[in-house]
Amino acid sequence: MTDNRSRWRPTSALARSLTVAGVGVGLALTLGRPALVVIVAPLLVVGALGLLHKPQQEPRVHARIGHVQLHEGQGTRTRLEVFDEDDVEVVTRVMGQVPYVALHPAEGAVAYRSGQDRPIEISPRRWGSRLLGAEKVAMMSPWAGYRWGPASIPAHEMYVLPTLTHLRTLAEAPQPIGLIGAHRSRRDGDGTEFSSIRAFHSGDRLRRINWRVSLRQGTLHVESTRAEEDTAVLLIVDAMADYGISEGVGGQESALDVTVRAAAAVAEQYLQGGDRVSLRVLSPGGEYAGYGTGTAHLRRILGLLARVRPGLPRDVAVGEIDFRAAAGSVVVVLSPMLSEALASATVRLVRRGLPVIVVDPLPPGTTPVVWPDSDPRVADLAWRMRLLDRSDLLSALASAGCPVVPWNGPRTVEEVLRRLARRTQLPRAGGT
Amino acid sequence: MIRAVHPSVWVLRTFVVVGLMLALYAAAPEGFVPSPFVTVVVLAVALGSALKPEHFVGSAAPAVVLIWWAGVVQSAFPDGTLIAAAALLTSHVAAVLLGYGPPSMSVEADLVRLWVPRGAAVWLAALLVWFTARAYSGHATPSEFWLAGLAAAVVGAVVAAVVLPTTRPVAEDG
Repeated sequence: MTDNRSRWRPTSALARSLTVAGVGVGLALTLGRPALVVIVAPLLVVGALGLLHKPQQEPRVHARIGHVQLHEGQGTRTRLEVFDEDDVEVVTRVMGQVPYVALHPAEGAVAYRSGQDRPIEISPRRWGSRLLGAEKVAMMSPWAGYRWGPASIPAHEMYVLPTLTHLRTLAEAPQPIGLIGAHRSRRDGDGTEFSSIRAFHSGDRLRRINWRVSLRQGTLHVESTRAEEDTAVLLIVDAMADYGISEGVGGQESALDVTVRAAAAVAEQYLQGGDRVSLRVLSPGGEYAGYGTGTAHLRRILGLLARVRPGLPRDVAVGEIDFRAAAGSVVVVLSPMLSEALASATVRLVRRGLPVIVVDPLPPGTTPVVWPDSDPRVADLAWRMRLLDRSDLLSALASAGCPVVPWNGPRTVEEVLRRLARRTQLPRAGGT
Repeated sequence: MIRAVHPSVWVLRTFVVVGLMLALYAAAPEGFVPSPFVTVVVLAVALGSALKPEHFVGSAAPAVVLIWWAGVVQSAFPDGTLIAAAALLTSHVAAVLLGYGPPSMSVEADLVRLWVPRGAAVWLAALLVWFTARAYSGHATPSEFWLAGLAAAVVGAVVAAVVLPTTRPVAEDG
């Protein structure tokens, strides 16, 4: 990032010192006032020194940002490199104030002597697209005689990733049907968790023989264990609108803030546990990531979440979206459920037999941001009516067998999954 | 977005105003007291130059002070002249420090440490001229002396006018 289209110009300080000195000397000589020569003599010297230090070469500047990828709340430094700085005495950097980006120093401006390293620290406070590093640079020659700039250094667009919690999930998935993983399966297999003691069959491993029971029974018995499988998690993120005020990390959260951060936390939890995670965002961009595992897939999901912009999906109605939920997937719908179409789609997923959890990201007491010229009483009434509709939708979902829980930190989904897993392990009449 | 003014900027603004007012009142102990009208004018222009140190009004306030000195103090040579020189220089240095950045920016102590010794050093020029003028006080000054000085000032002004505009072409980003 460079901008070298500037040149040295005389400063107002030089003009002031020479003007005042000229007026003083002129009056003294024309009117015979020796006291004026004394008064303006220092300014005459300052002006003369400013002229004598007229710069001979144009400096070049180059700004660097320390990191190209950041999570919200993290910080980095921008450094300014000045080339051909022989004629430069003081460097001034003024960084633009942009929403959701904190600066240090807070005013985003520093002036320092040439040759020193004075980085400005920047910290994005909210996920999403942020313009970082736009600044103006000016330089002064010795004795403040000439100024170079201010030259503009363009901003660098960075997709700020949501924060991560680094918590591993402890709850088992209700219907794991993968190959290998950490979740206890409903069938016996080659795992570590004890299932039962049964008679020896051909093919059983010798190290599984329980000698104490075998001696007591007179026939060989082995310990069987539960198989361990991975699971698949489908995250459906409702970004059709944002409700409430966002103040960035550590401040008040909007509904979309909670949604994106919760999606990132759940994706991280399950991907670190070796599970497969898919992401489907209901937004104009329609961000989608198929099932995948590993750190690279987590980075991809976080990158997609950072690109989310609120709005209705383009070209397709919500009710017609194919969520591509694989059999056995755990479906986590992160939505304030203010859309009837999404509620209907969620019920259809429940009826397919998939374990579906609705995470409600709407913070208590949230009110939408309304147009300034709208009547606040009408807006308040309309919002209350929407909340009543939402309450009906949430009740309908709960009665359809879909748990609805408010987002309460990274363990929110885990607690619900534990309950769902217990429910699936109960004996069913006519079940398999 | 309106940024708050940093406290150090207020301190420097105070120096700008106080310096100009002190330059105006430096000869007051010796009986040269400015009229309320002149005081108000200088104060108004000083406030303007404190708020906008890069504006041309910054040159107007010291010029008014000098005109007052030329008109009222006349050919007298009060001891307050040195104080007026120091006050005017202090006001100028404070304005230079203010001009380094926007009002929201704190003024670095390093830059203050750069300019305070400079100010003290250039004030010695006033002391030198003062001693020279004192040495010549009581002697009749020949008119050729003033004419030669005037010619030197005109030549200096022409040289400054030639040197001041930077005619270097704009460097294109290659």
